Formats: sequence, structure tokens, C-alpha cells
Amino acid sequence: MFRNTREGLALALPAAIFAMLLFLVPVGILLSEAFRTDGSWTLQGYIDFFASPLNRTVFLRSLKLGVLVAATAAVIGYAAAFCIVNLSPGSKGRVFGLVVLPLMISPVARTYAWIVILGRTGIVNMAITGLGLSDRPIRLLFTETAVFLGLLQLFLPLMIISLVSAMENIPRDVIPAARVLGASWPSVFLKIILPLTREGLVIGGTLVFTGALTAYITPAILGGSKVLMLETLLYQKVNVSNDFVSAGVIAMILILMSFSANLLLKRIATVRR
Amino acid sequence: MKSSLSLLALGCAMAGPALAQDKTLTISVYSFAQDEYKEALYDPFEEICGCELVVETGNSVERMAKIEANAANPVIDLAAISTQDALSLTRKGLVAPIDTSKLSNFDKLYDTAKDPIGDHMAVGYTYYATSIVYRSDLVSVESWGDLLGEELAGEVSLPNLTSTQGPLTLMMLGKTMGEESDFAPVISQIAEKADDIVTFYARSSELVQLMNQQEVIAAPVGRFAWSSFRNSSLPFAWAEPEEGQAGGMNVLVMTEGSGNEELAYQFMDYWLSTEVQGKIADMLVDSPANKEVTVSDEVADNLTYGADVINTLNILPAAEILDKREGWVEQWNNEVIR
Repeated sequence: MFRNTREGLALALPAAIFAMLLFLVPVGILLSEAFRTDGSWTLQGYIDFFASPLNRTVFLRSLKLGVLVAATAAVIGYAAAFCIVNLSPGSKGRVFGLVVLPLMISPVARTYAWIVILGRTGIVNMAITGLGLSDRPIRLLFTETAVFLGLLQLFLPLMIISLVSAMENIPRDVIPAARVLGASWPSVFLKIILPLTREGLVIGGTLVFTGALTAYITPAILGGSKVLMLETLLYQKVNVSNDFVSAGVIAMILILMSFSANLLLKRIATVRR
Repeated sequence: MKSSLSLLALGCAMAGPALAQDKTLTISVYSFAQDEYKEALYDPFEEICGCELVVETGNSVERMAKIEANAANPVIDLAAISTQDALSLTRKGLVAPIDTSKLSNFDKLYDTAKDPIGDHMAVGYTYYATSIVYRSDLVSVESWGDLLGEELAGEVSLPNLTSTQGPLTLMMLGKTMGEESDFAPVISQIAEKADDIVTFYARSSELVQLMNQQEVIAAPVGRFAWSSFRNSSLPFAWAEPEEGQAGGMNVLVMTEGSGNEELAYQFMDYWLSTEVQGKIADMLVDSPANKEVTVSDEVADNLTYGADVINTLNILPAAEILDKREGWVEQWNNEVIR
């Protein structure tokens, strides 16, 4: 495409410099704080972080919720994507638009909608008390369940979009052929759909897991201080405790978890190929 | 010659703004109610001093970090902060003692505002009371101990320990348990009841929302937030617990070596004046530390106002908070937040 490598590099250089100066350098400086204690390079920040029972709980809770949200989004996403790709072109556009629509609304507004649903005077509690299942509203907000639902609703569209893109590449007659030859639906999914949509699952899984792990607004509003996640803990360390070493440690852990999730998913996809 | 005159004229033109810019006072303040402060304090002061006022806002941690980071060459001349933050800066040698003879309004202050952290390192400009706001149609709150009682189980919110109201709540709960000097048993008691507490709020605005959504029916809060509850359609009441109200104070400090002390004194004195304190009180922003300020009954009802109220506040010493906070937070994180 280019007359020589130098021309290509010249065109890429402005973007590279922009990214380096405005992203890598400040983030690098921030993260380096996590390796410095009293002016010397050390891993003490990480040792101290994991020595705290609260920090370990927060780490495991974040990991658990990230995995649960990504796994649930994958299950729901496959069903939704399969339906969408089999719709007529007109309906497909409309339904796909409905899936994408929430992404155009601020995460803050989407999260507050859950308060209307899960609050003491919300729809769910009105139904519970109205049906006589309980004589008083049940505590739904400020629980892990609320955070899980909020994160799932926030990131599910990303999984569906990734899987729809992947499923559209499956030849139209492969699934009917397998069915005609006697394959059950579970076999069709495991032996045809899953292998042929691995790339979409890797991309969707990474986006959802990373998003759930690094979301701040949703855990802060729906979980509050009783359901601390790594991101809300990071905010506390910076804005309440002025503890930039711990904040750097948490930031590094979040980055490592995101990269690890991506590598793991890619590895799984490669092994099964 | 002509060109020399032109250069001289240009030089004079450039020197004018430079001189005006030299008379600049940089203050660091809480970020709330800045429109009201501008009207009642900043704009009138700029007219009086003929100087430029640079206002920097942010939360306490950000502002403290900035003062500390620029210790060698201060960029902030004067700051409005909490007593414990003022003491923290004092211990680091970052604030200068206040020569009270330069403050014409000093004698008008309540006694507790004159030297709140010792050695005249700070001067109080506002008080706040902390008590319990509750839904009067659903419950009656007579004591701080009611917050952990059966009647409010599952319907109460407490301030997070890291907030300003957190230690004050511990102090008042401690009074009900006979534990006024050691908060460890109080934190353990809260931990035992943690499942009965809806959430631990960080900001008063968060609590206003929680109570208006009817997620919570009682919680400790600063009096400065009371107007937000009074304007609600729900029947909220301000408790007068048998143990009394907790209270605190925000103070003004001058940074060490700012080189702008005279202007800082002028601004500090103006802020403490009866005129400015009265205006800010009428706007329901700050409760006056100047005892000569008089306000209407309606305004007084929204503030921590008057000697009777101020002299009976249970104020936690700044040194106590500063020296013990780290231990409290560690226990809180391990037992309460989990």
C-alpha cells in the first residue's frame, strides 16, 4: 500500500506520539507509584494490599462478579444473537437497534433506573408486597445482586453485538444441514455455533469482563460502601485516603486482570480450534 | 527618539496589568455554594482590595495534597478546611500562625472559634451541628442509641467513617454505650448491626436522595443539609436526642511562606465580619462563627445558630480525630465494611 516502510511509519507516528504522551506516559507514571515505598523500588505495596482481609474480599468479589456478568452475558447473548441473525432484514435492524439503544444513554441514567426497579418503593417490591409474598419491602439495593444486575444490563449489549457479528459469518445452510443429519440442538451449539463464533466470544467476553471490572458508577450507586469493588476502592484510596500507592496497586491489578482475561479467552479459543 | 517614546509607552502599558496581577490572592475552598460565596464574599472583596481573587475548589484530599505538594513555593495563600485537616497541615509545618491583632473582627467570634486547634494556627468561620434526621410519620427518635435499635433495623443509614460526620456519629453512639474515650467497642457494635444498616453514605447529598427515595427513614447528618430535607414533600424531623448534638467547625488557615500575608489577613477579616457572615447565613450556606450576626427565626432554623446551640455542641477535638483515625478506619474496614 505504501511506497516504503518509512512512509507508513511517518503516517503512524503522530497517532503513536499522541497515544504515548497522553495515555502511556501518565498511566506509566501513575502505575510506577505502586512499586515505590519511601523512595525505593519494592513490591511492598502489593504485599500490603493482599495482606488486608478487606482488600482480598474486594478483589475476590470483583473477580467473581466480573466472571459471573461475562458468563451470564454470554448465555443470554448467544440466545439473543441467534434470534437476531435469523430475523428478516427489516426486523433484524429494528431489534438490533433496540439492543444498541441503551448504549446511547448515560450509564448514570441506566444505573438510576435500577433504583426505580429495585428500591423499597420500586416495581419489584410493589409486586412482592402486592402479591402478599412479604408484609414489608425486601432489601434489594446495596447488595451484590443489585450490582450484578446493573453491570449485566450495562454491558450485555456489547456481548450481543460481538456475537451477532460473529454469527453472521456462519454459512446459512450449515445449521439446517446438521439438524437434517440428526444433530441435537446442544450438539449444534457445541460443535458448530461455538467453534465458529469463538472470535466474537473472545471480544465480547473481554469487553464485558473488563467493563464490569472497571465500572465505577454502577457499583458505587447500587452497591455503595457495603459492596466495595476494586474500582470503588480505588476511588476511596485516591479521594478519601490520599493513598496513591494503594491506588496504583489497584490500578495495576485491574490492568493485569483485564489482560489476563483477554489472554485466557484467546487461549481457550486457540485450544479448541 | 520617536521609537524610544513608543517603547516607553508600550512598557508602561505592559507594566499596568502586571502590577494589577501582582495583587492577587489565591484561596482554596470547599466547592459547594460558590455562586453564593461570589455574591456575598468574593466580588465585594475584590472591589474593596482592588485585587484579583483566584478561587480554587476541590475536595479536602485534593486541596490538602496541593498545599503539601507546593510547600516550597506555595500557590495557595489561604484555605478553608476542617479542624483536623488544619491540624494535619500544622503538624507538617505548612500553615503560619495567625496574628489575631490584625483581625478587627476576631473578638466578635464565639470563644471556641478563636483558637480551635491551639497556638492560633487557625480561626473558625462556621459551625455545624450533627443530629439525626428522621421520618416523623413512621418513627420517633429520642436517642442516638435508637439508630442501632430494633425499631430502625433495616431502615437506617450511617455516615461512612471516612466522612466528616463519621467520627461524630461514633462519639455520640459511644455516649449511649458509656464509651466516650475508646471507639473500638462502638465500631464493633456497628459491625454486629451492619446487616441492619442500609448503607454507609459518603456525602449528605447521597443521604438526601436515599431518604427521599424512602430507602432510609433515619440517619445522622449535618445541620447544613437540613434545608434539603425541609423542602421535601415527606415529613422529616430533626431529632433533639437526649445525649445532645454533635458538632464541628470549619476554619481558615494561612499557608506558611506564601508572601501574601497582608492581603490574606484582609480577606480573612472580611470573611469574619458581621456583614459577610450575616449575608452567607441568610443564604443558608454557612452558620456564623461571628456572635454578633443576627438572623430571622426561619434562617436560624436551618443553621447551627446562637450561643445556646453552639455552646452545647459535643465537639470532637481535632487531635483526637487525627491521631486515632487510621486505627478507626482499619477496624471499620475489617469489621464493618468487610
